[in-house]
Amino acid sequence: MQQPQQPQLHSQPQPLASTPTPTPTQPASGPLPAWRAKPRPPLVRHRGDKVLAGVAAGLAAHLGLPVGWVRVAFVASSIPFGAGVVVYIFLWATMREEGSAATLSGMPSASSAVGATVVSSTSAPAAGADPGAGPGAIPSTVGSGVTGSSSVSPHPHHGIDLAGLRSWLRNSNQAVVITLLGVAALVAAAALWLGSAGFDVHAEVVVPVVAIVIGAIFFWSQLDDSSPLGGRRPVRWIWLVVGLGFTLLGLVALLVRGTNITEVWQVLGAVLAALVGISVLCAPWILRLWTNLREEQTARIRATERADIAAHLHDSVLQTLALIQRQSTDSATVARLARAQERQLRSYLYDEDSRAGTLGAALTAAMGEVEDLQGVPVQLVVTGDRPMDQHLDALVKAVREATWNAVRHASPPVSAYVEVGPDAVEAFVRDHGAGFDLDAVPDDRAGVRESIIGRMERHGGTARIRRRADGTEVELRLPVGDPDTATPTPATTPTPTAAPPPTSPATTETTPPPTSVTEPQEQPS
Amino acid sequence: MTDPRTIRIVIVDDHHMFRTGVRSELTSLAGSAGLSSPATFRLEIVGEAGAVESATQVITAEKPDVVLLDVHLPGGNGHGGADVIRACAGLESQAGVPVRFLALSVSDAAEDVIAVIRAGARGYVTKTISAEELLTAIGRVADGDAVFSPRLAGFVLDAFGAAAGEVAEIDEELDRLSAREREVMRLIARGYQYKEVAKELFISVKTVETHVSSVLRKLQLSSRHELTAWALGRRLL
Repeated sequence: MQQPQQPQLHSQPQPLASTPTPTPTQPASGPLPAWRAKPRPPLVRHRGDKVLAGVAAGLAAHLGLPVGWVRVAFVASSIPFGAGVVVYIFLWATMREEGSAATLSGMPSASSAVGATVVSSTSAPAAGADPGAGPGAIPSTVGSGVTGSSSVSPHPHHGIDLAGLRSWLRNSNQAVVITLLGVAALVAAAALWLGSAGFDVHAEVVVPVVAIVIGAIFFWSQLDDSSPLGGRRPVRWIWLVVGLGFTLLGLVALLVRGTNITEVWQVLGAVLAALVGISVLCAPWILRLWTNLREEQTARIRATERADIAAHLHDSVLQTLALIQRQSTDSATVARLARAQERQLRSYLYDEDSRAGTLGAALTAAMGEVEDLQGVPVQLVVTGDRPMDQHLDALVKAVREATWNAVRHASPPVSAYVEVGPDAVEAFVRDHGAGFDLDAVPDDRAGVRESIIGRMERHGGTARIRRRADGTEVELRLPVGDPDTATPTPATTPTPTAAPPPTSPATTETTPPPTSVTEPQEQPS
Repeated sequence: MTDPRTIRIVIVDDHHMFRTGVRSELTSLAGSAGLSSPATFRLEIVGEAGAVESATQVITAEKPDVVLLDVHLPGGNGHGGADVIRACAGLESQAGVPVRFLALSVSDAAEDVIAVIRAGARGYVTKTISAEELLTAIGRVADGDAVFSPRLAGFVLDAFGAAAGEVAEIDEELDRLSAREREVMRLIARGYQYKEVAKELFISVKTVETHVSSVLRKLQLSSRHELTAWALGRRLL
């Protein structure tokens, strides 16, 4: 009995969502299983299945309720005093849209949706988008009140830059202000209507309540303190103060209702005293709760990091050490394993992934490959860096080939030096062996000719092979274009200095050229 | 340099295994007198230490010529080797010259190099260096010269903007390398030994050493802001 009940509990929202309300947006059954599998999806407005702004769908997903129910609830609660509308607008102003790049399409639909909500709340849930099309005098007054508020929103930006407007709305509290204007207009309209309809409207009750609500909105708007870019924006204390002030005023006005004006101060004092007393009592608790929360957060972050590092060490270092123990007799294999592991650990420690797509990263990878295959260490030094292109790719391949030759035919140490200059990339691969004779070794010559010299020349570069007394050095040079592209990321190289060099020597022409300055130093030798 | 002198060294490293390894390598190499180039001096290991405080004590007591100094050490103010150098500032060896420090590390991280060089180390080599090279480096540092590994040379070129074509107009300029210093650094980055650099540039080994020492001085004194920014941004040599 227990077993079949479990899946039924899980699948409960599914049939409910599809059956009761024939709302026009039932394609919602597509995303439904996705949110059902998760414990609780974040409270975001849905882009896909929306009638107006997607608030109801988002709320339904968040609460795990059928979207139809939520819509019916919104409509039903709008009938008495427009409460549903207020809640809807408040949620629209504070809920973020699903996905972050949805700024362009989000804004116009949302603003028109405000007008549309009013219509649907007073008349029917039909999706009449035009506020003026609402039947009768009542909806038109209410509708004009709210559309007035929504037409305020494009005003500062003149309605062109919708993305900017959206971020402006999300970043600042302008949305709250606009919402409040809407609420005030709505309440005024409702009061007028109720008054004209013969109901006795107690202004001295309604106004304080509205003030309290406005204060609460101000106050709570600071709860959602994360910016749309993912960071946290600072809590604006001014809004907290304004909200607190509104609430206080509302409370006092509510309490002094119908009493003498001299008692205002007494009531105000009493309210203040009560608030201060409560906050003094609560402060230590809140403080402790806060510090506990922070401690717990940091501890959790540390634990996660530790687990990550442990997992990495286990996968890499421990495995390699086990391999080394098993093959401890074969010193060449041990050296190769140790070297490969060192490289891997280094790239993990120094986060070389952040350099991905640059010449430096490509060279490191190529040299690592040679080391792994040949078991001979290669010392690689790279100065400067720039993003990869097809010519640099050819250079990397030529460097790899030269290193491969050096490792195979010469003796270590093998070193490779690549210098990224403003107008050329130069590479030097040097070994200390007897060197290979270009004429004596035809096979090597073919390899060298094709994959080093030929390749470089095809890409507009040059290659030179120098035989030295104690080894060979391959020099590669590849001219590169405008130095502006030589700044892949400002973090990798101090490249602000890369652009001006042609001009900087000209600024001090009185000083002799640099080479002549250093000459006297060499004379004593 | 012809008479066999004795260089007294202290090894500072928090890994006991590494200290033992270096000690056995150096003694076996320096002990065998038949070696050609490095064995122009005798080597005496007078002390070992594994932390900042103990290292400072040993160095103050023994007054060695050269200290092989690990970059990362426990204790002190948390700056490892740099703390040892600062604590021993002004200390002179038994021969009456300043105690010299040669930094030795597995780390190639630029901020480590910067910290220990700017604190006053005369050179920086990685722990994967061969025993012969290490011996040569010790002799060079004992003579007051600077020892640059290819990586350190590449770092210098990058940090001083020399790779991008910046060259000092006057030799004394601290924030840039002179044209000849740049050439020397480039050759060292290419894996050339000092004597190979000398041969390539048609200058004497002594002149190469002068240039390298001058670069070291610039590295220690320069206020070039990219030096640190670069080190922090790039992390790797």
